[in-house]
Amino acid sequence: MTQSENKTMMQTVVFTEAFFFLCLIMSYIYLAYSTGFEPHDLSKLDIGTSGIYTALLIISSFTLHLAERGYDRGNTRALKAWLIITLILGAIFLIGQGREYAHLIQEKITLESSVFGASFFTLTGFHGLHVFIGLIILSIMLVLAFLGDFKRKSSSALGAIAIYWHFVDIVWVVVFTVVYVLPQFTNI
Amino acid sequence: MGTTIKIPEPSAPFPGLGVENAQGLLQWISAVDHKIIGVMYLLTSVVFLVLGGVLALLMRVQLAIPMNHFLHPEVFNQFFTMHGTTMIFFVAMPAIFGFAVYFIPLMIGANEMAFPRLNAFGFWLTFFGGLLLYFSFVAGGAPDAGWFNYAPLNERNYSYNHGIDYFAIGLLVSGIGSVATSINIIVTVLHYRVPGMALNKLPLFVWMIFVNSFLLLAAFPALNAALAELLLDRELNAHFFNTAGGGSALLWQHLFWIFGHPEVYIVILPAFAIYSEVFQVFSRKPIFGYAFVAASSVAIALLSFGVWAHHMFAVGLGDTVNSFFGASSMLIAIPTGVKIFNWIATMWGGKIHFSVAMLFAISFLIEFTIGGLTGVAFAMFPIDWQLTDTYYVVAHMHYVFIGGVISGMLAGLFYWFPKITGKYLDEKAGKWFFWLFVIGFNGTFLIQHVLGMIGMPRRVYTYPNLPWYGVLNFTSTFFAFVMGISILLLVFIMRRAMRHGTPAGPDPWNAYTLEWATRTSPPPLKNFEDLPAVTSRRAWWDMKQQAVNPHPQTKNDDPI
Amino acid sequence: MFLQAVEDPQSFQAEHINRLFNQFNIAAACILLLVVFLVIYVTTKYRRRHGDDSEGAPIEGNRRVEILMIGFPTVLLAWFFYKTLAVSSAVMPPVNPSRQPDIIITGHQFWWEVSYPRNAGTPNPANSPNYVITANEVHLPVGRPLLMELRSADVIHDWWVPQLGNKMDLVPGNKNYLWLNIRRPGDYIGACSEFCGQQHAWMRIHVVAQEPADFARWLDSNARNANPPADALARAGETLFQTRTCAGCHRIRGTPADGAAGPDLTHVGNRSTILTGLLTTNEENLASWIDHPQEIKQGSYMPTFMFSKDSIKAIAHYLEQLK
Repeated sequence: MTQSENKTMMQTVVFTEAFFFLCLIMSYIYLAYSTGFEPHDLSKLDIGTSGIYTALLIISSFTLHLAERGYDRGNTRALKAWLIITLILGAIFLIGQGREYAHLIQEKITLESSVFGASFFTLTGFHGLHVFIGLIILSIMLVLAFLGDFKRKSSSALGAIAIYWHFVDIVWVVVFTVVYVLPQFTNI
Repeated sequence: MGTTIKIPEPSAPFPGLGVENAQGLLQWISAVDHKIIGVMYLLTSVVFLVLGGVLALLMRVQLAIPMNHFLHPEVFNQFFTMHGTTMIFFVAMPAIFGFAVYFIPLMIGANEMAFPRLNAFGFWLTFFGGLLLYFSFVAGGAPDAGWFNYAPLNERNYSYNHGIDYFAIGLLVSGIGSVATSINIIVTVLHYRVPGMALNKLPLFVWMIFVNSFLLLAAFPALNAALAELLLDRELNAHFFNTAGGGSALLWQHLFWIFGHPEVYIVILPAFAIYSEVFQVFSRKPIFGYAFVAASSVAIALLSFGVWAHHMFAVGLGDTVNSFFGASSMLIAIPTGVKIFNWIATMWGGKIHFSVAMLFAISFLIEFTIGGLTGVAFAMFPIDWQLTDTYYVVAHMHYVFIGGVISGMLAGLFYWFPKITGKYLDEKAGKWFFWLFVIGFNGTFLIQHVLGMIGMPRRVYTYPNLPWYGVLNFTSTFFAFVMGISILLLVFIMRRAMRHGTPAGPDPWNAYTLEWATRTSPPPLKNFEDLPAVTSRRAWWDMKQQAVNPHPQTKNDDPI
Repeated sequence: MFLQAVEDPQSFQAEHINRLFNQFNIAAACILLLVVFLVIYVTTKYRRRHGDDSEGAPIEGNRRVEILMIGFPTVLLAWFFYKTLAVSSAVMPPVNPSRQPDIIITGHQFWWEVSYPRNAGTPNPANSPNYVITANEVHLPVGRPLLMELRSADVIHDWWVPQLGNKMDLVPGNKNYLWLNIRRPGDYIGACSEFCGQQHAWMRIHVVAQEPADFARWLDSNARNANPPADALARAGETLFQTRTCAGCHRIRGTPADGAAGPDLTHVGNRSTILTGLLTTNEENLASWIDHPQEIKQGSYMPTFMFSKDSIKAIAHYLEQLK
């Protein structure tokens, strides 16, 4: 397998998944403007806390980039260390999502409670699923690194996975803007 | 790291079905060789063609006379849903992928697809998706809300048996397979071409399927999103599409048609790809206007995302929306018209061989023009307001699907059968098949235009005894059986060729592209040893002209 | 001409669409003939002669011809697009929000609820609650533009009467509109044209177009309450109707029966068919329907009641005389 093949493959994966998230976002916005979301539901969103978790996820992209740099320079210690930190940041993000979900469910906002509930949990849920899958893949990379792989820089795996991880981040920035930030400025 | 089990490579292009040694069934189910996977895709397509065709014939029996009681209404509704779903997802797409994964590596001078295991994964997902869909028949009933499955009829409160759940899950599963295979195709074409084959020197078959793969990657997510949201509605009481809960019935239509319209281009572009090859070889001329044919494929792919609401002209979206989509739908006729002209011009000045493949290509020109013209009628949306959801649409779609897609797959079958199996299909019997098929097809569907114009809606299990309804429907049914018999004849012809067919050499048609450059038909396990660098769009033709030794020193870059 | 329906326009809307369709068909026929001619010509002139294995002429393309082939259809399509817009605004002009519809059709699985706002046609807001409600048989006056409002009580349906012009969906949660300007009195038939479930095939449409005077008379007679039962059997039938849950789904104005889940039966005897076109209205068919509905129109929401044959006869007799 040549280097660029895996990267091309991951780019096409990102291409198709981007359309998928676009459709989920479109559904969210369509329902927001046709049926409309209850202001009561929207007011329960915690933009501050979610903002912090968003920042952590964005930082995890940087840490993964640092892991890549370590790998490029043959520094396996840096690779492993930054991978671990990326994993921790990603996991914290998911925990934060979980806590937001728990808070909303406590306020009786669920998949079945309202159109907002259905749209919110679906959009953020699919994103969370993609983060979770990313964490599994990163864990596999970490385990392989500890088992002795990635000593020479002939593998394109890390580069390809980084494309996926950065994509998941960018999707979250868009979702966060649409779900949390937009209601502050428009009457969604 | 423990013992590794090594499954031996296939020693024959068509392994047996036995289990006593490692060269039987094990080869089929463990195959990662692109040629064996291609064959499995094609066999899957034929099996589902027969299933979907039987469903159609049973429906036509029910519709042969007014007020018939042959099929129960619920059964009829399940049948038309399954017929449409089968033909699009489990006949057209597997046929396309079969030809694609078999011939793209060969045509670009490669020995494998970029990701062989992903290739197998994609096939088995398609196969099992189909099985899951058909399992619904014995699990409480097949889906019965149409292949387009509109909301809120598709919600739990209106469709309480699990047919629609099987529909959703079966299509999600096979959809992932389709996406995986498209990714594989894109990476293969970008990274495995023989030196000298720049993207603008690709055989049109490869180029068009390459473009098609991007279209598929962009369109399937809309279906996946729609199906996921439907499952959430049905299983977890979400409110995407059920109006009673605040959802929007129209949201389903938008999402579905954002997938659905590109989907019909996804199935026709590969047929166009096959015709492009067939017209060249059997006119003994290069394609007329390569750049225009290649560019118009890209135009069609892009434009296909801007026309979806022409399926919704009667939904009440308003003047502005209707006008926009009417304009875009008329516009998309132009690149297709360009192609038709280019194919006719390819024959101009040529030396036309009337092989069965070429006969299907020629009949396609006329049948697809009919289907395309009725399509333009629909783009003129006041006409759509009369004729949508009638038998006029049924006629239109079958002219483009059968006259376009299926004829293309049949042309590909007759063209490539000798390469895949090493045997000729009997051309004489093939011509009988062609005429029976074309007469049956046109007899079935031409008069359905009239049925639509005299007021017969579609998706009805019966109709009242209005003037001419009975006669026209009966005639349509009669010719449908002619078409059915022709398919039986086809299966017979294929079987006879496999067993007693005349052996074919590696290049029976004296063709132009690299798949014919393999030493044998069927190709050896390793397609090519060495290939010279490519200098034109007809690589194999150049090699023959220069009487080039196919085993020179320049090596193909491939690691396999 | 056996091509009734689309080619037999009986309304202003249908006429406009038909004209556009015919113009298009002429252009399309010319293009098809051109393609057929070219194909036959080329395949005949350039067929390979026996024994000739040479190559064809080495033509790779011709840019000028290509541009022409793109330009000519574009011009033709632009022309037809202009005509399309013209017909669209003639057939579906904008609806003034303050204009009250002349008729409101609500789609159900598998029947049509028809209501006429009492002051139809006058520019008054629909405050007056005096609707005339009936089912399945749609009477309309000829000779003036009528605004039809379309709603749905359950799934998506579609109203289509080919002789009267364009179709329009009935979408739950939305209100759609159609304009109708019918030329001549007569009976016009159509059908639901959006798959709506098991009995989509038997959701047929019967429009009775009448001169304005006849229509006004019909409207008034339909606004009246139901006839009282004329004989003993009908009286027995009425009692059964009121006490045996029929009234829970069906309405008969002037009696306590006020159900809205099924068709209004106040003047059912006057309608030419029952079951949205499936059977002629007579006592025998009504009795069969009450006796075994799921065998006649399986999937409809009419339950199978366990009535005695005498009871069924009485109810059918009662309903048939509700004229």
